[in-house]
Amino acid sequence: MRLLLVDDDANFRRLARRLLEADGYDVVGSARDATEGLRLAGELAPDVMLVDVNLPDASGFELAARLGREHPGTTVLLTSTYSRGDFEQLARSAGADGFVPKDELSGAELDRRIT
Amino acid sequence: MKIRGEYRPVARADFAVARILAATAAEEVLYAELLAAIGDSLDWDFGAWWEISDDAASLRCIETWRSGLLQDGDFETLTRQTTLATGIGLPGRVWATERPAWIVDVTVDPNFPRGTGALLAGLHSGFAFPVQSARGAVGVIEMFATRMHEPDDELLQTMASLGSQLGQLIERRRAEREVRESNERRRAILDAALDCVITIDHLGCVVEFNPAAERTFGYRADEAIGREMAELIIPPALRVRHRDGFSRLLKTGQEHVIDKRLELMGMRSDGSEFPVELTITRIDLPGPPMFTGYLRDITERKRAEVELRASRARIVDAADEARRRLEHDLHDGAQTRLANLGILLRLARGKLEPSGEAGALLDEAIDDLAETTRELRELARGIHPAILTQGGLDPALRALAARSRVRARLGAVPQRRMPQRVEATVYFVVAEALTNVTRYAEAERVEIDIEDGPKHVRVVIRDDGRGGADPAGGSGLRGLADRVAALEGSFEVTSPPGEGTTLHAVIPCA
Repeated sequence: MRLLLVDDDANFRRLARRLLEADGYDVVGSARDATEGLRLAGELAPDVMLVDVNLPDASGFELAARLGREHPGTTVLLTSTYSRGDFEQLARSAGADGFVPKDELSGAELDRRIT
Repeated sequence: MKIRGEYRPVARADFAVARILAATAAEEVLYAELLAAIGDSLDWDFGAWWEISDDAASLRCIETWRSGLLQDGDFETLTRQTTLATGIGLPGRVWATERPAWIVDVTVDPNFPRGTGALLAGLHSGFAFPVQSARGAVGVIEMFATRMHEPDDELLQTMASLGSQLGQLIERRRAEREVRESNERRRAILDAALDCVITIDHLGCVVEFNPAAERTFGYRADEAIGREMAELIIPPALRVRHRDGFSRLLKTGQEHVIDKRLELMGMRSDGSEFPVELTITRIDLPGPPMFTGYLRDITERKRAEVELRASRARIVDAADEARRRLEHDLHDGAQTRLANLGILLRLARGKLEPSGEAGALLDEAIDDLAETTRELRELARGIHPAILTQGGLDPALRALAARSRVRARLGAVPQRRMPQRVEATVYFVVAEALTNVTRYAEAERVEIDIEDGPKHVRVVIRDDGRGGADPAGGSGLRGLADRVAALEGSFEVTSPPGEGTTLHAVIPCA
């Protein structure tokens, strides 16, 4: 499964890449903001994008909505330190395919969210 | 003063007193002139006017007179210093009986405490008569002569009659003085009053306009008095309403504006309008009704109220902003670091054998970290819910309702975004109410309805619990009421015992 990370925290990008690669994901790239994420989505055509809710140049919801329109085949999962109970529905109503709290991040967790 | 002619002394005294009574002598010389008129007319030598004390316990000399023949002033001094009880001495006797009395020689009279003084002054005969008003004796007048005089009934009868006239005069003078003093006191109060005092008659015309009214409205009293109050100080736009109301008040006597504190607009002589506080009282006197208005310029108070409301709103905004910033700092700082640390630990765990001491210790660390992360997330949400900032009221309130331990039904929630202070207030009203329901209400269900209006958001939260909540108590309701009031909204809690609690908040959002 080819995955693209979008998060402004370099540490998270580095650690999440290692964790997800250890769980069998092919992390094909990472972006620090929405603009770069959108560009790489076009270039790399990932199966899954893990997008932080708070990005420097746009909200993760806005990026998810745009990805839904421009790359409908890509599964978009939002992530944050917020709780799943609060954000799951909000993420889905924005056009994302689900919400994964960062403290629960794992390959298995992503597998359950990818349809 | 002496009336000369062929009249007898008694008649002369009668005439002399009548002349003084007819003239309007000043009060401070009236008593002395009357004593002199009587003494001179009768050709007696010393007179004194005694007044009954206010507590009717004693007689006190308030005025004396002596003829030019009586050189010795000691008896006069003694008389002025003497106080007599009822029945004591010549005046005390007259006071007790309310009848005139005569003593041929006071120097030998057993009931005359000033006998020695009289002897030294050369005084012998004396008579006295009561000064009578409608309410009884108010004083006693006494006269003494250096010669011996046998009792003269005609003189005593004439003096008794004079005493009645004098009593009436004194009563009238006293009443006039009291009215004058009362008017002066009232005038002094009106002049010194900080409030405007304006009295109008049944035609709506000004009859009284105190200095504060002059200063406030810019008219002199002589300019204002006689003019219709409405055209003077009521803004044109309100005059018709005022006249209708005034006419209705006169016609029906309906007094719903009387003795109430009203706030309306007043108008100065230059046409400028300003807010006033007004209380109207009806003057309870016979004749056509009159009304007095007590007005106060409340421009400053209104300005202060506006500033206070703005200040409270700014405080709420500042507090909300501080909470948002704190939540944001927690999210970007500690929560992010803990999330990364969690990933790092899970990566490390993957490098170790499933069993083994190091792996077990790491598992424990991972579990502890997960618990800490959850606690920190709850703390951050309590400070300010990110879901509210990110998604608005609908997802934030649905998340609240979903987490409620008491079954909660949430109706439709406005989808539009509102000002942050409004969203935060609605959110915290619901959050605090749900906390109270869970902690205190013993309820099985709670219903939350949010009505979105063009100018207000209405929040109604009803539970089926035990009721009896005290809005002034320490349940957090007081703080919510303050928060809503800071946005000029209303907040009401109805909580009859045994019938559940309904919380009703209306929050302006225009």
